[in-house]
Amino acid sequence: MKPAKTRIRQTAAARTFAAAFAVVVATALTLIACTSNTGANQVAVERAQATAEAAVIDRNNAIAERDDAVARAEIAEASTNRLKTIQDRGTLVCATGNDTPGFYFLDEEGNTIGFDVDLCRAVAAAVLGNADAIDYRFIDLSARGPALQSGEIDLLNMTTTWTSTRDINWGNFAPVMFYDGQGFMTTKSLGIESATELDNAAVCVTAGTTSELNLADFSRQHNLNIQPTVFEQDDTTVSAYHAGQCDAITTDRSIFTAYIEEFDNPDEHLVLPDIISEEPLTPLVPHGDDAWFDIVKIVMAGIIYAEAYGVDSDNVDAMADSENIKVKRLLGAEGDFGQEVIGLDKSFMVDVIKQVGNYGEIYERNLGSEGIGLPREGRNDLWLNGGQIYAPPLR
Amino acid sequence: MQSILNPGGIPFWRNVVFIQWAIQIVSAVVVIAIVSGFIVNVATEIHDRAIPFGFSFLDESAQIPIGESLIDHESSDSYLFGFAVAALNTVKASVFGVILATLLGIVIGVSRLSRNWILSRLALVYIETFRNIPLLIQLLFWFLIVLELPNVREGYIYFDAVYLNNSGLYLPWVSPMGGFWPWAILSFVGIVGAVYAFKYLAKREIETGQPSYPIIAGFAIFFVLTIVGLIIFSPLEIVIPERQEGPFGRLQGGARLTGSFFALLLGLVVYTSAFIAEIVRAGIQSVSRGQTEAARSLGLNTNAGLRYVIFPQAMRVIIPPLISQYLNLTKNSSLAAAIGYPDLVSVTSTMVQIAPAISLIGMVMVTYLAMSLFYSAVGNIYNRLTKYAGVG
Repeated sequence: MKPAKTRIRQTAAARTFAAAFAVVVATALTLIACTSNTGANQVAVERAQATAEAAVIDRNNAIAERDDAVARAEIAEASTNRLKTIQDRGTLVCATGNDTPGFYFLDEEGNTIGFDVDLCRAVAAAVLGNADAIDYRFIDLSARGPALQSGEIDLLNMTTTWTSTRDINWGNFAPVMFYDGQGFMTTKSLGIESATELDNAAVCVTAGTTSELNLADFSRQHNLNIQPTVFEQDDTTVSAYHAGQCDAITTDRSIFTAYIEEFDNPDEHLVLPDIISEEPLTPLVPHGDDAWFDIVKIVMAGIIYAEAYGVDSDNVDAMADSENIKVKRLLGAEGDFGQEVIGLDKSFMVDVIKQVGNYGEIYERNLGSEGIGLPREGRNDLWLNGGQIYAPPLR
Repeated sequence: MQSILNPGGIPFWRNVVFIQWAIQIVSAVVVIAIVSGFIVNVATEIHDRAIPFGFSFLDESAQIPIGESLIDHESSDSYLFGFAVAALNTVKASVFGVILATLLGIVIGVSRLSRNWILSRLALVYIETFRNIPLLIQLLFWFLIVLELPNVREGYIYFDAVYLNNSGLYLPWVSPMGGFWPWAILSFVGIVGAVYAFKYLAKREIETGQPSYPIIAGFAIFFVLTIVGLIIFSPLEIVIPERQEGPFGRLQGGARLTGSFFALLLGLVVYTSAFIAEIVRAGIQSVSRGQTEAARSLGLNTNAGLRYVIFPQAMRVIIPPLISQYLNLTKNSSLAAAIGYPDLVSVTSTMVQIAPAISLIGMVMVTYLAMSLFYSAVGNIYNRLTKYAGVG
């Protein structure tokens, strides 16, 4: 046992030393942090320069200069190349749902099918040559924005209304693939004929949708005391309505057709004539990759023009020999409309049409006579027939 | 030869003081590195991906609907107000849930130890069933049962005043009138008086052995003052639910327990009470059997033994895990969105559509943290008051 004095001195010395050690460690760490920060900044500056250069150089020139392997690697590194990521991964990450018949749901065998699902399948067929190479992410409607913002998904097809706020905050919207409008469904026994009679009614609605916001606007606009009941998932919303907890349910009008089909008492329900909003349903991609955004737009245009030109999954092979120049260009038999520059096969539309079909086939299979029985008239017809389904020309 | 690296001849790496300091510093560095890593990552991603962030949106009109609220809410109110309304809904579910789950949990926990075989087996079945089924499933189960009730126009009516249907339970309620505050003060005096009378009489009963009826006396003081106040001030008006005009026949006035809130409360209470029952059982069993026998040999009957000897000692074991059950219940109430109760998570997931998600989720986290810390603080204060004097 040492004398107490020694121990005290020893402790004091150790404490001094420990303090000195702490200062040294802290300084060292700060230095490391600063230098690595500078390093990161330099890399960031270099990347920004590389991106700017890559953008300035014409795409064709970029391809011509590809013989320099190092430069190519740098360009790939410098830009967020989602197409390359998808092709390396071998699957397209598509966010959708599984609880809305017609648009996205599971069939008896557990396959994900629907109008929105087929649009994902078309993109997968275009970029991977295989419509089934999809990694589905089933999310809640209210999770759509954060899912896109995180950049984890390649494509979101989930009855999403194109709005300005979403365009700014969520991602880029491709062409409108379905024109809808919000309405109300109620039970016939209540005897009401217009949505403006919904004063003091309880209305079921799903969270995180434009329907929810439009409902608030509508009740304020018309001075109606509507009690909203908000559920997280569509199927709970429908159950609550069907059980009579709510007097009416509100969502996009086309979806009611699908709901009614599932009810055991379809004749007792009535879709009110009022359309309280504009709901252009649109596929969308995350912000930040213009080339990927272009690809999705081209695929959507491709399936629309395939219908306009009369190319479908049955006659696609024969149509390659068509006399029609536009058909030949669409199928990659002659000329081009930019598909190779953007990184797709020249004949990618053959894969898309063969595996998924043209717009009309997709519509009929899911929403039309073979699906939930929604007549295709008015706005969702091709522009040729007086509708609004239209896309930028492919050339 | 002594040096700063080698005080007292011991190598510095074997010096206790040095080792302790070094461990502290290394841990601090690791913690700071991880936390700052997260912050830097979020900041970088917000910048790179242009994710909206900020709090300036809070003053703007939210234009979202909220189905039920403790305070009046309109869709044109601000985000901040909507957030507060939703937070209050969560607090409401939490407070009611905590009170009811505690009462039910104590009853089941004590039944579990009952010498009545059927009662203790029933309690066991209850505990093992509800503790082992995921809460979300239970919530949906209760909600579907609520939906099975007839709708608001065809539901059950009792005494022309109580309505039960799948939109909820509607009860007559009271609304304050002119003389409310004088009456409230008188009732408060009644409560204080009742507590003091109870304490005094209970002490007397223990010390002298004379039956003094402390519970009856306490309630009597409270009720006499309250009822006298009711007669003098006529402070309350009874409001009976009434049907609204029009085809929907919804009810207004009185108190309403909505179907969603009812299902949520039922789910939370049943689930949490199963855990609380086990905590209560463990607490009671932690008190040595000798204590029960000692109480008995002093002439205390079973109830008195439990109340004066067993519970005061069991409480010290029960309180800490009980508080964490309260925290669980509060956090579990966030599953409410699934069954249509507009709690904090449900409402903010609507707001996220138009407002910055990261800011809102951050606010939600802070709000839950604040609620949890509040429960913890209350629990810790109680714990400090009841621990053995001179120990720990």
